[in-house]
Amino acid sequence: MNKPVAIVLLVLAMLTGIGLALTLVAPPAPSLPQTATVLPEPAELPEFSLIDTSGSERSRALFRDDWHLLFFGFTHCPDICPMTLATLSSAQRELAESGESVPRIVLVSVDPERDTPEVLDEYIGHFGDGHIALTGPEPALRELTGPLHIYFNKVALEDGYTMDHSSVVLLVDPEGRFHSLFSGPHTVDNFVHDLPILMNLQAAVR
Amino acid sequence: MRILLFALCLSFLVACAADDRAPVVLEDVVVTEPRPGANMSAGYLRISNNRGEPLAITRVESPQFGKIEIHETTTIDGVSRMRPIPALEVPPNGSVVLERGGLHLMLMRPIEDLSRVQLDFYAGDELLLSVDTEITAD
Repeated sequence: MNKPVAIVLLVLAMLTGIGLALTLVAPPAPSLPQTATVLPEPAELPEFSLIDTSGSERSRALFRDDWHLLFFGFTHCPDICPMTLATLSSAQRELAESGESVPRIVLVSVDPERDTPEVLDEYIGHFGDGHIALTGPEPALRELTGPLHIYFNKVALEDGYTMDHSSVVLLVDPEGRFHSLFSGPHTVDNFVHDLPILMNLQAAVR
Repeated sequence: MRILLFALCLSFLVACAADDRAPVVLEDVVVTEPRPGANMSAGYLRISNNRGEPLAITRVESPQFGKIEIHETTTIDGVSRMRPIPALEVPPNGSVVLERGGLHLMLMRPIEDLSRVQLDFYAGDELLLSVDTEITAD
């Protein structure tokens, strides 16, 4: 190997080394959510009036002052609804254990016929403390779900009926605005990763 | 010659072992605790069909539940739908997995004592297999 070529190679090797070292010590890029979709502008929740598990009327004022995760489902759903609620509850516990602030969990039942406040009270309490469950007559539900583009539909079966429903989880900010959404499949890791980022994103903007 | 004989015996043994597999195998059976309120459970498992012909499980019963249906949850374009299906079809020498967010058993009207749950799997009127499991809390 002649001398100039050796020098060029040496310089290249040194530059590569410096580049590698820089990437190692450089501060990490600001974290971005992995799965959640952030709305370009947070959207005010529509006005609504639903009943909670104590039978009291609740409006969108419920969403003030805290972050909330909002999910639509029904109790006669043995598979996907309990799975989502268990996932949200586990994520909430993991965040609390690592000292992060945690959003409250709100289930809106789209099956008011079977999900009375008493039934919802028993059901939601099973997943953790402080969870909220709401329901109401179909037109009252539509006031909330319509503007949010949440789909639900009663489907007759040979034996009874089932409810088809959107599986998204919405994150609502402490000003009661729809901030971002998780479209699923829902995993504990996705929520644990994204929620602190989403909630800090909001803090930075304000 | 001895080696050849030994090899022959060995292959014969392996073949026998393969044939010894049970025609239908149920594994990883999970029955969730009934949710308060709705009072129903979900059941998950893997069904392997080691026979050379297709298998259709058309009915599941349990002394601990008033009614069991075979269901499938699908989530398409963000909408979840749960539908009863007439049978669990397991291809020859294949398996089917019932898991969260997909195929599952919906177990309704539990009796009070659920310390053990027995599940009886039928193909038409033929009882294929029974399994016994504990209730799983999430």
